[in-house]
Amino acid sequence: MLSRKKFIQQTALSAGAMLAGPSLLEAAEYLLPQKLTILHTNDVHSRLEAFPMDGGRNQGMGGVAARAALIEQIRKEEENVLLLDAGDIFQGTPYFNLYKGEPEIKAMSAMRYDACTIGNHDFDGGLENLATQLHNHANFPMLVSNYDFTGTPMENKTVPYKIFTKGRLKIGMLGVGIEMLGLVPDNLSAGTKYYDPVEKANEMAERLKKDMKCDMIICLSHLGYQYKGSNKVSDEILAKETSNIDLIIGGHTHTFLDNPVTIKNKKGDDVVVNQVGWAGIILGRLDFEFSKFSGKKMANSRSISVTKKSGE
Amino acid sequence: MRPVLIAFTLLIIQASSCKTAYQPQSLQYKDYRISSSQPGDSVLLSVIKPYSDSVNMSMNNVIGIAEKSLEKKIPECTLGNFMADAFFSMANEKFRTKVDVAFMNFGGIRLTQLPAGNVTRGKIFELMPFDNVLLLQKMKGTVLQQLLDHIAGRGGWPVSGMTMQIKDKKAVNVLIGGKPLDPEAIYTTANSDFVANGGDDAAMLRTIPQINIGYLMRDALFDYIGKLKSQGKNITANEENRVTNAQ
Repeated sequence: MLSRKKFIQQTALSAGAMLAGPSLLEAAEYLLPQKLTILHTNDVHSRLEAFPMDGGRNQGMGGVAARAALIEQIRKEEENVLLLDAGDIFQGTPYFNLYKGEPEIKAMSAMRYDACTIGNHDFDGGLENLATQLHNHANFPMLVSNYDFTGTPMENKTVPYKIFTKGRLKIGMLGVGIEMLGLVPDNLSAGTKYYDPVEKANEMAERLKKDMKCDMIICLSHLGYQYKGSNKVSDEILAKETSNIDLIIGGHTHTFLDNPVTIKNKKGDDVVVNQVGWAGIILGRLDFEFSKFSGKKMANSRSISVTKKSGE
Repeated sequence: MRPVLIAFTLLIIQASSCKTAYQPQSLQYKDYRISSSQPGDSVLLSVIKPYSDSVNMSMNNVIGIAEKSLEKKIPECTLGNFMADAFFSMANEKFRTKVDVAFMNFGGIRLTQLPAGNVTRGKIFELMPFDNVLLLQKMKGTVLQQLLDHIAGRGGWPVSGMTMQIKDKKAVNVLIGGKPLDPEAIYTTANSDFVANGGDDAAMLRTIPQINIGYLMRDALFDYIGKLKSQGKNITANEENRVTNAQ
């Protein structure tokens, strides 16, 4: 593997010394890999400060200051970074009871999050409150593809998708939220229409892939990782029943996955699914390397090499 | 040099003739544990400082002592029993009614653990962050059985005033106040407005009238802890086979 990479680099360099013109640039682009680093959180639940040192099992864990310092360090080392959150930003510490989400959103803006999706608890202060907090304090979009907020205070406060350009990569991103019935009190979500996330995600991902020519499609999801013995829609089901999503950054079930999970989609391609528990205890980091060289999907060429280094 | 050049020319031809998209070729994963022992970013510290100063001032006072670490799990747990007991006791007192059963929906317990030792006001906010109110509903034994079956189907919730077993996702051997559930009797139950309004898919409760005095569940926890304190008692609970899985 290494020797092939080295060979390609050397070839490109030595050939570059002799050739010039657009075909060379094209070939260089064809040959050189593109890196993308994805950092992600979910279900941070207003955990702005670390858990207190009270002898509990999470004592000292989490906190936005330490997370921000780590993110800045990674941004210094990597050129193409996306920082994402899969919802339930709100509710869980007295910060939310007292300030209704203002410091949470301010902190995410200060950390330069690129996007988030909506969690069921982001409704907890009501639609008007969420709209106000996003409007006043967010410098990043909330992506929601399967809710219709028309006629509510949240109208035009979310977008169904966004395209990010990182280096030479075009990344299409969408977001899906969980069904509110039986989960979010009616008065907090009044007027919001929910649509089947699988259907909406498929529609959106196809447009991003085929019409807008994205190299990669990421879905932020607050559906939950899986519901054993139930057909309730989850990231597992979303992965299986969609065709163009490459990566699902999940939330809701507070699942601590040891490693990202790979699931075959409708076309037999790999979808990577990950979720990092809750409360900002863990920051997930996925480093993808892209190339146009093989023209093949990851699973068909090189298998995913996943290394787990806890405690760092 | 020559074979390299040929290979490269071939690649140019391939590149020009077939404009493939970028494809992910490899993936490395790493998870970072975030800890307050690591250096903190000064910008973020200044963003949250005005908020944290006031949060810490109003939330760090110690309101009670947990005798041991109370834990959250199904089908029964110490943390849930403590909460259900608080709601049972305070509902009886505040509504001036004999309450038969109190519930705490499992998903509404927002800490996985209440550590042993000092319990701050803020900790109770974390345990019960929602502004849910404790309310009463009177229901026939048949409806209560439906609710208990629903609870059994979800793996069991904390209860106070009753015991049950879970068998094939149904509630069996139900004892209310030590007596078998009577389908025709009317029972008074204490629950959150969230569940009573059909939250956690408890649809059978949606149409049952509610007795609501605007009493926050969090305040019920504060009042119960205060009541225990006045009796010289600390915060504690045991697992005592209130909800078990039938063998």
